Amino acid sequence: MKLNLIGLAFGIMFGGVLGASNLHEYDTIHSMLAFEELDVFFFMASAIAVSAPLLWLLERRGMKTPYGGELSLSRSKPERHHIKGGALFGIGWAIAGTCPAPALVMLSSGALLSLIAIPGIFIGLRIHERQQRNGLHVGDGEHRQFVTVSK
Amino acid sequence: MFDLLPDRLPWFVGGPILGLLIVGLFVLANQPLGASGAYVQTSNLLRRHDGVVIWRVFYFAGLFIGGVLATRVFRTGTEGVRSGYDALREVFPLGVTIPLVLGGAILLGYGAAVAGGCTSGHGMCGTAQRSPASIAVTITFMITAIATTFILRAATGGAL
Repeated sequence: MKLNLIGLAFGIMFGGVLGASNLHEYDTIHSMLAFEELDVFFFMASAIAVSAPLLWLLERRGMKTPYGGELSLSRSKPERHHIKGGALFGIGWAIAGTCPAPALVMLSSGALLSLIAIPGIFIGLRIHERQQRNGLHVGDGEHRQFVTVSK
Repeated sequence: MFDLLPDRLPWFVGGPILGLLIVGLFVLANQPLGASGAYVQTSNLLRRHDGVVIWRVFYFAGLFIGGVLATRVFRTGTEGVRSGYDALREVFPLGVTIPLVLGGAILLGYGAAVAGGCTSGHGMCGTAQRSPASIAVTITFMITAIATTFILRAATGGAL
């Protein structure tokens, strides 16, 4: 139950930061990828610059988390599916000008075509799930913890 | 509704806040602040699968609620609806814009599933963990996204 509240709170804060930074706007993503405005690159870089050293420090101290056991960071080796998935993701990201979290904020902001983009993302994920049953590779990364639970 | 937020939060404020959120979710629950996984869980819940990671569904709803707060409640002059793709609409008719957005979204959803994460899961959280796989994914999607943007620009004669 507490974990659900944590999830809700972090979703609200993450969605809030994305919305306040206008990352849900097609124009923001498009002008970033066209190198017309570098703010989003700086945004991502500064988020990593803040989190990477802190995570490194906490992992080294063997931190116990209250709801997830000992802090364990993921260090997977790059494989073929990472490159393939990343390449396709980038093409879609550039065309749709959005990605999974900002697409939801697009909907919040009253952008009606997010009602096309969000189902599209669900369809893309579902196509992969169907292929998985045919023995294709399962993603790890962020999806690692439920590889065993989804049928 | 309330005029509390600037037109756009500068990157040097938003980026570090997001960095602290990434750390916060790891510190509390040992989990990455990704988004595509939340779609997977929400989809599993809607299809009544077993073993749904329910907090990811709460997180999915939270993203929407946070977006409402940032784009509507704490800002003024953002009432009403719009397409969200005015730039595309200026170049293409709606009959092209809709398949383009749908196709792009399917590609990015599929790509995120194959790679095991998206801009947040691999691009920021994975890179912050110094995961070689996440760094490889991030470099790859940056390259193809930038290339796609310039191809679209060339194909539309610079209109996009």
